[in-house]
Amino acid sequence: MKTSWMKRQQHLGYLFIGPNMIGVILFFIIPAIYSFYLMFTDYKFMSPDTKFVGLDNIQRMLGDEVFYIAIKNTLMFLLSVPVSIGLAFIVAVVLNRSVYLKKLLRALYFMPYITSGVAVAFVWMLLFQPNNGPINGILRAIGIANPPGWLSTMESSMYAIDIIWIWFMLGYNMIIYLAALQEVSGELLEAAKIDGARTWQTVRSILWPLVSPTTFLLLITGLIMSIKQFGIIQAITQGGPGNSTTVLSLFIYQNAFRYYEMGYASAVSWALFVIIMIFTVVQWLGQKRWVHY
Amino acid sequence: MNKAVFNKSLITLVMLFLSIVMIVPFLWMISTSFKTPAEVFQYPIQWIPVHFNWSHHVKVWTGENSFGLYYLNSLKVSVLSTIGAVTLSSLAAYGFARIQFRGRDTMFMVYLSMMMVPPQVLFVPKFIMFDWAGIYNTHWALILPGLFTIFGVFMMRQFFLSVPHEISEAAFIDGAGHFRIFSRIILPMAKPSIATLAIIDFSWHWNDYENALVFLIDHDLFTVPLGLQNFILENNVDYNGMMAAATAGIIPMIIVFLIGQKYIIEGVASSAVKG
Repeated sequence: MKTSWMKRQQHLGYLFIGPNMIGVILFFIIPAIYSFYLMFTDYKFMSPDTKFVGLDNIQRMLGDEVFYIAIKNTLMFLLSVPVSIGLAFIVAVVLNRSVYLKKLLRALYFMPYITSGVAVAFVWMLLFQPNNGPINGILRAIGIANPPGWLSTMESSMYAIDIIWIWFMLGYNMIIYLAALQEVSGELLEAAKIDGARTWQTVRSILWPLVSPTTFLLLITGLIMSIKQFGIIQAITQGGPGNSTTVLSLFIYQNAFRYYEMGYASAVSWALFVIIMIFTVVQWLGQKRWVHY
Repeated sequence: MNKAVFNKSLITLVMLFLSIVMIVPFLWMISTSFKTPAEVFQYPIQWIPVHFNWSHHVKVWTGENSFGLYYLNSLKVSVLSTIGAVTLSSLAAYGFARIQFRGRDTMFMVYLSMMMVPPQVLFVPKFIMFDWAGIYNTHWALILPGLFTIFGVFMMRQFFLSVPHEISEAAFIDGAGHFRIFSRIILPMAKPSIATLAIIDFSWHWNDYENALVFLIDHDLFTVPLGLQNFILENNVDYNGMMAAATAGIIPMIIVFLIGQKYIIEGVASSAVKG
């Protein structure tokens, strides 16, 4: 009697998960399978006949000049991830032990992350105005006669996007580092002090190695998060000037919804999936080896 | 004053200065929204305008496409999505964390693998499916998928796993079933986690530009990010107006952040370190 009741209780598991599972099937699993099928077709929105084209889309991708530009831009965009992590580490170390007003400072550094989105992107667009924007105004005032054109030239546009993204991610990385640094025992640091270790020695040879699992985690999750990002870039530059800020995820979006080349866009989106999968596998392998807490 | 206190004060000042640099885009935005066109790019920067000019804010809030409408649209989408997402992911997380049943771990692996699929893979098929189902270019195209968050399931599961099993076992012996344990015991304990998830989820939906961009075309359906983009396209030389519009887009998030700061910061920290 009691056991059959227990058994019935276990079946309730399906009821708990069911509603969510329906959504995951409808909005994740079925679209994913559908997209996988579309990759092998020449599907275009509103065009009546869709043919199965085998590997044509993949071949087209590998021969598409813009695809390689997008890969290059994506790599340049991803450069912002380690830079942001490095800066966040420094800020977190300083905030962790040697300041007053720690909570206020933490909130201020974190603010860009929570207010993310296109609104901030448009503010940066004006800040970066090449002729008379405030950033170049300041640069000229401190004696730089020919400041960069930022978002307006092909050479500098990707760096300008990087700066925005570093600024945006800094607070997030800092919060995670602060949480990790709290786990580091104060005794260890006191011992180092007694040994006469200089501050930067303590940081370099004690703190940095101790938080290495966190650094690794931030690096991988940051790369994955950034490679999927296209909203800010679409809002500010739409990938331009030229194709100079067309990153892979934006390339997919534009093929799908500007040119309605949806079969082709699906193929490229699976290339993006493969990259994310590689990052994820590296994370699993790395976690097994690195995690020692 | 001893040396340690002096050093600490000095470092605090330096960090305070740098933190101001971090939020300078917001300050410049607000300041510009109150200036006249001639003052926008004046150098040195006049941080506090000589005369507060409200006309740009009036334009943003009363024009043909008013931000009032965008706010209502965003609120509708964000609130409905968030309520659904928090409810459904708490239920699912309880199932994954505290009930043993056949197929559970396989289902969880499916969830795990779906986290790797980028939104770019799903946009095209969702676009076709929504068009077919007649919800393309309606708010349902944002709300319905918004009810389901895999991240939310992970986060709540993490919390439910940390609740000692003895608590459920004692309730079991008293004859309570899973629904009663969930609603009377576990859920009340999870209030802080629920608050965190609700705030993070709300901010996602409020800031969500990409889904709105793909699934909405009618102006009167626009959420705040799209409304903002539209405003900027139509007023691309009116820098003061642009910044007034950006201010309108950002202020709600700043308010949410100030109210829920504790939950947001702790939630973000714990989700990454434990996950």
